[in-house]
Amino acid sequence: MSFLDICLYISLPLIILPVLISLFRLIVGPDIADRIVALDTMTSIGIAFMAAFGVFMRKTMALDVALILSLISFLGTVSFAYYLERRNLQ
Amino acid sequence: MNLVLEIIAGILIVAGSIFIFLTAVGLVKMPDLYTRVSVTTKASTLGVGLVIVGTAVFFHDLAVYARSILIVIFVFMTSPVSSHMIGRAGYLDGASLWEKTKANHLEGQYDLKNKSLKNYYDKKED
Amino acid sequence: MNRLMVNIMFAFIWMFLQGNLHLFAFFEGFFLGFLFLFITRKSTEPTPYFTRFFKVIWFIFYFIKEIIVSNLKVAYDVATPGYFMKPAILAIPLDCKTDLEITLFANMITMTPGTWSIDVSDDRKTLYIHAMYVDDVDTFIKDLKNGLERKLLEVMR
Repeated sequence: MSFLDICLYISLPLIILPVLISLFRLIVGPDIADRIVALDTMTSIGIAFMAAFGVFMRKTMALDVALILSLISFLGTVSFAYYLERRNLQ
Repeated sequence: MNLVLEIIAGILIVAGSIFIFLTAVGLVKMPDLYTRVSVTTKASTLGVGLVIVGTAVFFHDLAVYARSILIVIFVFMTSPVSSHMIGRAGYLDGASLWEKTKANHLEGQYDLKNKSLKNYYDKKED
Repeated sequence: MNRLMVNIMFAFIWMFLQGNLHLFAFFEGFFLGFLFLFITRKSTEPTPYFTRFFKVIWFIFYFIKEIIVSNLKVAYDVATPGYFMKPAILAIPLDCKTDLEITLFANMITMTPGTWSIDVSDDRKTLYIHAMYVDDVDTFIKDLKNGLERKLLEVMR
């Protein structure tokens, strides 16, 4: 077991646990905006997780998933926020 | 050489994951929407940035460098825009401020009927 | 801007002549091309490219330092129990004029943790931001204008 494997065994739980923690904010969050913030955080955690997982499996393919996720997450967040803003202006 | 790169990559990935973990803790701990948005930019700047740089250092390959530079550029370009949009939508939705907030210069500046925003410093000169 | 294109072209030519598509060869070529352009410049008229190049590099390092410092500040507040923060919504008078400058300034404010921009007023003279660590309103605004905005405008103009 090399030094890098030890680092990954520390960091992969540290990256996955935040998904559960922000799931708490997604369920409890008093407003819709709080829930969108939690979703946004979860997708950026997903980007970091795919990169770290690629190092763990020694496969560069996981970086493609991270690239696509970084494009998609922006669209999702912006459309939610746009919906929220339009709903109030009308 | 390979061992040195592995050690650097490991340290970078662990540092990034610590920042991501602290972001999630802050998301639960912070009292109102505005401070939560402030905290979440931490995950997308240093957290994702450090992990991606660590990945690039580990693979040490041109294709991976290109993809990781693209990911970092996308994240750094899009995450400020999305958090700004969530925050403004939340403000217009009437999210409450923390009671210890010191000043609110934005209060009463929005005109929702005409969809306009006044300049704060106009009022002072009158 | 023209010289930047020439410089990047030099870097690519150097990279292809080396025969290996490696990032190090690109930077090597960029540095050599920069040196070449610097030697062959006209000495009679001032060329802004060279001073501006170093200004951009300096600004990038300054911005990364700013991100790390404010990250550690927010991380310290999150990791320890209780709150140290004094949040406020502030109006900042803008010196930036064009849309590109305002967009860059607002995005940079949002990218440093602890502060994020909410909206720009309709006449584009005021930026509303939310900041987490405001000891005094006037000094905070003055620090932000003298720090990030002045350095950004030095690079842009």
